[in-house]
Amino acid sequence: MRRFLTTKGIIGLTLLTIIALIAILGPLILSPDAATAMDMTARRSPPSWKHPLGTDQLGRDLLFRVILGARTSLEIAVSAVLMSIVLGLPLGLISGYFGGRTDNILMRLVDTLLAFPALLLALTISAVLGPNVQNTIIAIGIAFTPFLARIIRGEALRVAQMPYVEAARASGTTDVMIMVRHVLPNILPAVIVQGTISLAFAILAEAGLSFLGLGTQPPAASWGLMIQASRDQLDIAPWTALVPGLAVALTVLALNMVGDVLRDILDPRSK
Amino acid sequence: MKRRDFLRTSTAILGSGIFMGGLPTALFAQDTPVSGGTLIWGHSETTQNLDMHQTGTASSGRVLQNIHSSIVTVDANLKVIPGLAESFEVAPDGLTYTFKLRPNVKFHNGAVMTSADVKYSFERCKDPATGAVNFEVFNNVAAIETPDDLTVVIKMSAVNAPFLSRLAENGAGVIMPVDSGPTQGTNPMGAGPFKFVSYEVGTVVKMARHDDYWDGPAFLDAVEAREITEPTTRLTGLRTGELHMINDIPLDRVGEIEADAGLQVKKWFPLNFDFINMNHTYEPFKDKRVRVAFDMIIDKEALMQGALWGQGATTPSPSFPTDAAFNTDLVQRPQDIEGAKAMLAEAGYPEGSLNIVFKATTNYPYHIETAQILVEWFKAAGVNLTIEQLTWADWLSQCWVDKDYQMTMMNFFTLWESDFLYYSVWNSKGAFNYRGISDPIIDELTEKARITVDDAARADVYKAVQKQIFDEAHDVLLWFRNGTIGAQPSVMGLDTVVHPNGSNLNFHKVWLKA
Amino acid sequence: MTYILNRLLSVILTLFLITIVTFGVTNILPGDVAMMIMGTQSNPEALEGLRQSLGLNDPLIVQYGRWIGGMLTGDWGTSLIFKQPIAELLLQKAAASAVIVVMSMTIALALAVPLGVWAAVHRDKWQDTTSSTTALLGVSLPDFFWGIVMILVFARWLGWFPSSGFVDPAEDFLGTLRHAFLPSLALGLGLMAHLTRMTRSTMTGILNQEFIRVARAKGLSERTVIWRYALANAIGPVITIAGLQIGYLFGSIIVMEFLFSYTGMGWLTYQALLNRDLPLIQATVFVVAAVVMLTNLAVDLLYVAIDPRIRLG
Repeated sequence: MRRFLTTKGIIGLTLLTIIALIAILGPLILSPDAATAMDMTARRSPPSWKHPLGTDQLGRDLLFRVILGARTSLEIAVSAVLMSIVLGLPLGLISGYFGGRTDNILMRLVDTLLAFPALLLALTISAVLGPNVQNTIIAIGIAFTPFLARIIRGEALRVAQMPYVEAARASGTTDVMIMVRHVLPNILPAVIVQGTISLAFAILAEAGLSFLGLGTQPPAASWGLMIQASRDQLDIAPWTALVPGLAVALTVLALNMVGDVLRDILDPRSK
Repeated sequence: MKRRDFLRTSTAILGSGIFMGGLPTALFAQDTPVSGGTLIWGHSETTQNLDMHQTGTASSGRVLQNIHSSIVTVDANLKVIPGLAESFEVAPDGLTYTFKLRPNVKFHNGAVMTSADVKYSFERCKDPATGAVNFEVFNNVAAIETPDDLTVVIKMSAVNAPFLSRLAENGAGVIMPVDSGPTQGTNPMGAGPFKFVSYEVGTVVKMARHDDYWDGPAFLDAVEAREITEPTTRLTGLRTGELHMINDIPLDRVGEIEADAGLQVKKWFPLNFDFINMNHTYEPFKDKRVRVAFDMIIDKEALMQGALWGQGATTPSPSFPTDAAFNTDLVQRPQDIEGAKAMLAEAGYPEGSLNIVFKATTNYPYHIETAQILVEWFKAAGVNLTIEQLTWADWLSQCWVDKDYQMTMMNFFTLWESDFLYYSVWNSKGAFNYRGISDPIIDELTEKARITVDDAARADVYKAVQKQIFDEAHDVLLWFRNGTIGAQPSVMGLDTVVHPNGSNLNFHKVWLKA
Repeated sequence: MTYILNRLLSVILTLFLITIVTFGVTNILPGDVAMMIMGTQSNPEALEGLRQSLGLNDPLIVQYGRWIGGMLTGDWGTSLIFKQPIAELLLQKAAASAVIVVMSMTIALALAVPLGVWAAVHRDKWQDTTSSTTALLGVSLPDFFWGIVMILVFARWLGWFPSSGFVDPAEDFLGTLRHAFLPSLALGLGLMAHLTRMTRSTMTGILNQEFIRVARAKGLSERTVIWRYALANAIGPVITIAGLQIGYLFGSIIVMEFLFSYTGMGWLTYQALLNRDLPLIQATVFVVAAVVMLTNLAVDLLYVAIDPRIRLG
């Protein structure tokens, strides 16, 4: 734990805790209507006492929107990454552990999917399923799966050659047991590191999908949607872009910092 | 609905004086036009099919109408006036139309237009194999005769009162040289003020002056229509001087550009009307009380201010404001949330029992804003409205063709012709009746109008149609939206650019000050 | 040699799988080609007739065979929305995007390599933190956000670059570069973070190696040691990583070309998806995937050429 106490680790973790608290507590304190209530007499008003972060083009309070949007954005990112781990883990584990022909076939599949840019894949899936929060999660989750599978497979390949795995095999432990008992715990650090960094990418992906109209649907608040709406008014109401932009930037920055520190601690080879 | 179908108007602009008055812009009247220069126009949409017969999109037509001329056109009062025909005549029985063509009209390929070209163009448009959007205009046409080079006689099998007006729509009335059909899609050719030069998909359409244009050559050497669909990017292009002119200034920025002394703004009214649609095959909307209640939930003026930033005017009728058929007796229902709640409860939908999905297309950003404002009002009335954003293609396929929606909204461009408007949109057999409306009274009235030759009597029939639509709250009519053009001070003759239909742009009389 | 042969075989297999995925996914897209062609004139009978004549009622496997046959014989069909031959369209738009790919990579490398070297030389000092934070900032915001900022700053306020559009390089090559610059810069910022990190870690490894110590012992100036000796050895892996970013880049290009009205492959892909132009979607998606895969292959082979120790996949 001591190694977490680098400047990077402290800043990253503090930021992330604050953001997580906002995302969790925000909806408990504020009514969901706070994010959608409009005041047509105060459209695009700059930050003031009444609206500390200003309002958007429909006179909605940006402070409330960015707080309630945290929940939406993080929920999508976390669910999507969890989904890609759930899909990618067995794929990578089996491929790496067994190697040989199984590996060859599975990795050809993964390579094929990797050839499709993630955003293009997510865009297409979104178009197939229709736009809403749940489908955004599925689209990003599927699009990220091949990356996760690739990394997990590499780790599993390494761990499968370790002496303790050989020993377990020799003692007649079943493959499934070995995978669960010995391989999984040893690749978990890499999964956690990659998961943290993927969270950052998922937040950006949600923003990209919302920018093209395929992510979260208005009038709900999500950071991506807020940035999307701000693009037409950046020059006359810069706060409408800065508020969600800063929220995304800080979160992504915090996730990357924590990811870096985690990598240093859990995965010493990459140092 | 600009993209696919509603491009239906004439091409030729006949000198000055027939244009709708917009706001006067600072024009320097003492300047005499000079020839020369290339106008760089930032076009708001992507040009698709270049074949004037096949293209259904107002965006493609907006460009192509500079390349083509139509046999007849309309003036500011939407009265049909000569185009490539210097005169026309309808027999008293309404079954024979005689057109006298202008002599010495030259196509871009140098050929002189004759009655054979007219016959060719009309027959090509009529032929279902061509895939023309306006083919049904010629439905009752029994024969097209060409007694001499400058006379065309059209025989109808049955009366089709709106025939001439429909010809004034550029898709149906444009004249193309004989046998040019197969190449129209790649090299559009007609008798318009500009010749087609080149087209790079999604980037630019280039046109050059046609020196032999029948109404005198244009001032500009060339026009470049650069396609810039992002509104802010387009606006930036105008401000940095990369573009001479843009159409469709973002609604929220019009005031700001008007205040900019370094730019001109040309506004006109109307560009299109908007209405909110309820799917009549969806159980709750079969009940008139629900439709009326929904109408009552909406404060049209506040919605217009909110979504259009005041760039429009509310209307109870979709008829063109200058049309004699506009029913001036109608008044929009004022907002009455409590009354609406009571009416919904009476219809069997107490508070909280209605969950409606509102599908809106991202093609029109102000539709999304409209929907977001509606959500708040409907919440107050105990109706839960959820928005689903659709791309244009998805909107077309889900709402327009499959009628798979509960609520949506749409805007129609250039539907100034009453038959086209009311028959297509509200008749149970209408091509644009995507709400599944089936009202025997409207059906009967719209059929009756088709065989009513007297203009005043026909106008009365259409007034009755409007009243019926309103009384039944088949749709909720919202507003007419303003059209806008922004331009550099060097662009002269802006007042001549917009066609009476409010959608098409023509650069024949535009010139650039040095 | 066997490695290369194996690799080539697997490329052919992957290409084949790519065609299956492309065809499969695009066929479950909602909307229907016949309907896109007929638009609002669609009526059930006419649609059925058109579907029949287009062969849309054939079993999927037959349609797939026809599609592959067409692709192999160079008949890529016609775009439904633009009514142009797809092969021609693709060639034209791919060239436009290639300009952006090269330019954004150049920008990213030009920023990332010095930053990474600087960080490696001053490891764990303030320079290191500054460098990694700067690099992270680029990737901390969606690249379209940078795009909007670029338009505002460089086009609107400073007026140095055009805000949008594309110019045919055959007409005005300098114009093409000017139009490509802002989207490339925005994309370059997003690419930079990963490349900076790679440069730093590769350089760190090399700086600890024997030959660097020898060079230093010989009394060569620090500048020569770092920029001539160390960097020369680090640049290979860094370029390799850059090559692997091509997939990510293609994703971002879609959004960026849309924002800048820059009509390249990304723009074309988005238009095709937006308009459900099925033949065009299939062709663009296939080409993008194939290019990404072939780039990865080239990178792999390059790696083998650079580092002969790698012989096994």
